[in-house]
Formats: sequence, structure tokens, C-alpha cells
Amino acid sequence: MSAAARPLCSVFSTSGDKTTDVALPAVLTAPLRPDVVQFVHTNINKNHRQAYAVQMKAGHQTSATSWGTGRAVSRIPRVGGGGTQRSGQAAFGNMCRSGRMFAPTKTWRRWHRKVNTTQKQFAVASALAAAAVPALVMARGHKIDQVPEVPLVVGGDVETLSKASKAKALLEKIGAFDDVEKSANSKKLRTGKGKMRNRRYVMRKGPLVVYSTNDGIEQGFRNFPGVELANVDRLNLLQLAPGGHMGRFVIYTQAAFEKLDTIYGATGKSIPVAEMANADLARIINSDEVQAVVNPAKSAPKKYLRKKNAIKSIKALEKLSPYQVAARKSETKAQESRKTKKSMKKTKKRGIGKEFYEKMSTQGDVCEDGF
Amino acid sequence: MQHDQIIWEVINNQFCSFKSKIERERTFCRNPYNVTGLCLRSSCPLANSRYATIREDGGRIHLYLKTVERAHTPKDMWEKIRLSRDYGKAMKQLDEHLAYFPKFLVHRNKQRMTKIHQYLIRMRKLALKVKPKLVGVHKKIERREDRREEKAVKAAKLEESIEKELLERLKNGSYGDIYNFPETSFEKALEGVEGEKDIEEEQRELEEMEEEEEELIEFVEDFEESDDESEKDVEEYYGDETKGLVGTSSSESDSDSDDEIDSTTHSKKPSNDDDEEEITKKQPRKKKPKKKRPKVQIEYEMEEENEGQHEIMPAW
Repeated sequence: MSAAARPLCSVFSTSGDKTTDVALPAVLTAPLRPDVVQFVHTNINKNHRQAYAVQMKAGHQTSATSWGTGRAVSRIPRVGGGGTQRSGQAAFGNMCRSGRMFAPTKTWRRWHRKVNTTQKQFAVASALAAAAVPALVMARGHKIDQVPEVPLVVGGDVETLSKASKAKALLEKIGAFDDVEKSANSKKLRTGKGKMRNRRYVMRKGPLVVYSTNDGIEQGFRNFPGVELANVDRLNLLQLAPGGHMGRFVIYTQAAFEKLDTIYGATGKSIPVAEMANADLARIINSDEVQAVVNPAKSAPKKYLRKKNAIKSIKALEKLSPYQVAARKSETKAQESRKTKKSMKKTKKRGIGKEFYEKMSTQGDVCEDGF
Repeated sequence: MQHDQIIWEVINNQFCSFKSKIERERTFCRNPYNVTGLCLRSSCPLANSRYATIREDGGRIHLYLKTVERAHTPKDMWEKIRLSRDYGKAMKQLDEHLAYFPKFLVHRNKQRMTKIHQYLIRMRKLALKVKPKLVGVHKKIERREDRREEKAVKAAKLEESIEKELLERLKNGSYGDIYNFPETSFEKALEGVEGEKDIEEEQRELEEMEEEEEELIEFVEDFEESDDESEKDVEEYYGDETKGLVGTSSSESDSDSDDEIDSTTHSKKPSNDDDEEEITKKQPRKKKPKKKRPKVQIEYEMEEENEGQHEIMPAW
């Protein structure tokens, strides 16, 4: 993908018609690296966690000591004293009732993960590039069948659009409302305990609206289910690749789109360079330049099947001595013909003999009376 | 073209919303534009920038073509070409449009078109046959409705309401002279249904009924007398007749007056008859408030007696 000839991207007005063209920012041609995005995402996702832990003293607020041996009880520490049900009960162990848990959780667990800045930038660039590939956006699950172009850029005074009704009209005109509807229809109660921990509902992600300056656009778009807003200067990987999967449906404002070239460029953040300029291996291998220099293809080594015994198998015999096989065949044929001939002869003769005998034994007309 | 391989690697290894593993060792593709329906590198509509599918819509078959030039415009990505209805012609059209496409795609498209043609034929044949429409049975709903039906039947008290309805109609006289039942007796029957009056009152009413019966309809009179017949000897019957005659005159005079007076006067003379009748009527009547059916039985009995009497009456 040569950077010199960059394709143009259509800009749509708030009424849904194409107005001008903008050159595609270089970021959107960054290499697609799902592995990097996934790695960075899993780590960055841990950064907004809140610590949880068990009470430090939990299970240890007793003066229990082991009774030792000789008392016909297990050696686990037992609560001393008397006069209460608690006395003599086991304490301290993770197996004991009201004992401390195994490995009590601590607040000083390493909650956050550090990710190299360049890696984070790499991931964001890759995620942005992936958002410009309609196939990946569709694969991720967004409904963009009616969207006129990907990446979707809206020009004019979108950034001043502070009325949700107008925002809805815009979304419908540019074919993005299907995705919003999909998100709205997917709202369901969360499975599990999250319900009672202020995470009651779950719904799919809708489009991400990226803007340059907030002149009211936040107010206009924030109330739609699934729709999220982001400033170009502060793009969040967790929004660009939710769940670690690249290809979020992004709607840019013209100002934001043009700003991408300054953010990621010579003066701004560095755009990752691909390992291979042309990653289509199949095409490279089958190209004329390569095929001309390549050795002829080798055939696979011969496959030796199990050796067959010529005494038992006629086919093996045929390979060694075709004459033998032919001789055998002719002999068997001759045998058969001999057999049939003989049997025919027999039946014929027998038949004659029998007939003759019967004829002879019948009484003639002359000798009817017996003499 | 450059993207295809990468796209496929992402889709295959990471996530594709259209991929579904229904069978254990087979991945299917739920993308509506997939020719084969399987999740394969060569048949993935997302990972191939040059692609062709056949889709059927309302009996018409269309060929959908996708090229690199339109890969970035999802709205206009697929070029829809309508194919001819004739199978042979459609095949030729396919050959023409898919001339420079990879052989795999051409072959699959032809296969798909053949299959579609076949099932369309089958559909048309089936449409000619009248097939019963199958409706699913909701076990839960059926059980629930049955239970409710039972309860509703019990709550409706059908027999009660039918009886009331019939008696009301008799009251109104909507049946006219179809059934020859004494009005008073039926009023009493109605009252008996309600169970308001005492037995004594019933007796008095009975007496009154007898009087009125004698006035109004001959059948009625015979009715009562037939009751007597069934219970007493023939002699007694005739004796009673005289009494009855006397009773009638008094009854006529007293019919206009209050019921109580009539009941008292009548109580002496046709007392025997009345008593017997009353007894006969009482006993079943006692049953009446308990069971509703016996009332009907009584009526029928009277009818039978009438019939019996008809045979005897001509002698008069």
C-alpha cells in the first residue's frame, strides 16, 4: 500500500448528501495487528479497576491456641475461655467456621498494568485502521449495510448539533441508525450478580462518534443507546476495539478526520510501519517475478505400499509374470468347458439309455395278452 | 486484495459475528451473502473482495456481484442482477457474468442456483396440495386454559341458570299453551326453587292450586283425581269425586277471596284428597329444595297420570 497515492474519502452533509472529498489520513493505512490490539486492550482494561479485599483482621480476632495432643481432638487452634458456644471451637484456619480465608485478598494487589506508550499508540493506530475496513466492522457485528461509505465522515455543522432529534435525523440519513436500533433492541438484564452491583443492563455497542471540538455534539448524540462520543485528541482503545476485537463502527466529523493527519504524522504521534509492505503472500508467490526464478516443483517421494505375496495375490503375480496369469486363466476356462461338455455327454447318454429301456419294457400290441 | 488475507486471519482467529459452530467439527457462516454457508477462506464474503452469490427473493433469483472497486461502500457493494426464470438461460447468464471469476466461485454459484430452482419447483408443487396448517401446542398454556375452563364451568352454575331461565319463560307465558301445567303449581314450583315459603304455606297453595285447576282446565282436574286414583281404591275414588264436586263449588266462590280463607274451607272437604296429594306432593316437595330435579319428575308423573286417565275418562 503506497502512501503516495492516498484514496479520497467522501464527506457527507447533515442532510446525507455527498459534498466534498478528503484525503484518507495516513493512520488509516496502518498495519492491522489484532495481536497487539488484544494485548494492549487486556492490559489497559485493568486500569480502571477498584481495589477489593477482605478485612485485614478477619478471622484473627481471637486468642485461640492449640490444645496440643492428648485431648482426643484435632490439633487446630481452639478458642479459649468458657461460658459461650464459641469456646472450644476451632479458629484461624481456612477450613474452620469463622476462620480466616485462604490467602486473604489484599488491597496492594497489582491492579493496574503498565503498557509502553508506543505500544498503546500502535494499538490505537491499528484499531483506527481496522475501523476503516468495512469487512472487519461487519465481522465485529455492526449493521452497516446501509452506510454509504466507510470511513464515514460527516461535514458541515455536525459539531454544533445539540438537539437529539436532529442528531437522529442525521443518523438515519447516513444509514447509521440501524446500528443504534440494534443496540437498543439488545438491552437485557445482566446475568449474574452484576445486576445488584450497579451494572444492571447489558447492551451491544453502537457507533462511536469522533469529533474535534464540542460545540454541542455531545449533547446531541449522548442519549442514543449504544452511541459513544470521543474527542480526536484523546482516542480510547477501549472504545475503538471493545472486547479486544478490532473494527468498531466510527463516525467522524470532518474536522476530526482532517485533524487525524496532524495528530498522527511527521510532527505528531508516529504511525506504525508494517513488517511487510505487501502482505499478500499468495499473490507474491504466484507473481511472474518470483515464478521465473524459482526451481521447478519437486514431486512427492514415492509411497511404498505393503508388499503383496505373488502366490496369494493374482495382481502381484501379474506384475511379475503376466504369462502365468494368462495361462492360469486359459486353464480354468478349459477346465470349465471340459466339465460342461462331459456333463452334457452324460445326460445325453443317460437319457438315451433310459428311453431305450423304457421303450423296451413296454408291452407291445402283439403281446398284449402276455404271449 | 491486500487486505483479504489479513481480514481472513482476523475473522478466523479472532472474532466474526457470522461464524457459528452448530456441529462439532463444522463452522457455518450466517452471512446472508455466503454462497456455500460454510465458514471457509474461499467462501467468506467478507474476506474476498471479488465475490459472487445467488439469492432468491419471492421466487425470483438474483446474482449478486462484489468487486474491489466498491469494497469501501457498503450501501452499493453488491450489484444485483436478475436472472431469467428459465434454468438453461439462467445458466448461460451465469457463465456470461462470472466469466473471469475463480472457478470455485462459478461452480458453487451454479450449484446454488440449481438447488434454488429445485426447491422452488418443489414449493410450487406443494402449494397445489392442500396441507393442514400446523400450529404448535403450548403445553403450559393448554393446561392453564383447561384448568380455567373447569373453574368457569363450576362457577357458571349452568343447571341453575337454565332452570331459572326456563321457569322464567314459563312465568312470562312465552310457551303459551304448549305445556299444560297449572300456573299456580308452577309458580309454586318456582317459589320452591327459591325455597322461600314454608311447608304449610305450600300446603295452602296446593289447595288453592287444586281449586283453580278445577276451574281452568279439565285436564288439571283429572290430574288431581288421577293422583287420588293411584293411591286409593276405586270406591274411594268415586267417593272422593263427590267430595271434589262439592269442593269445586266452594272453591269457585272462594277463589276470589284470600288464599288463607280458601285454604281453611278447603282443608275440611277435599282434605283427604288434598292430604294425600299433599302428602304425595309434600314428600317429593321436601326433596325439592334439596334437589332440583325431583320437581321435574313430579310434573312428568302428573302427565303420565293424565294419560292414564284419558283412557278412563271417556266413560264420563
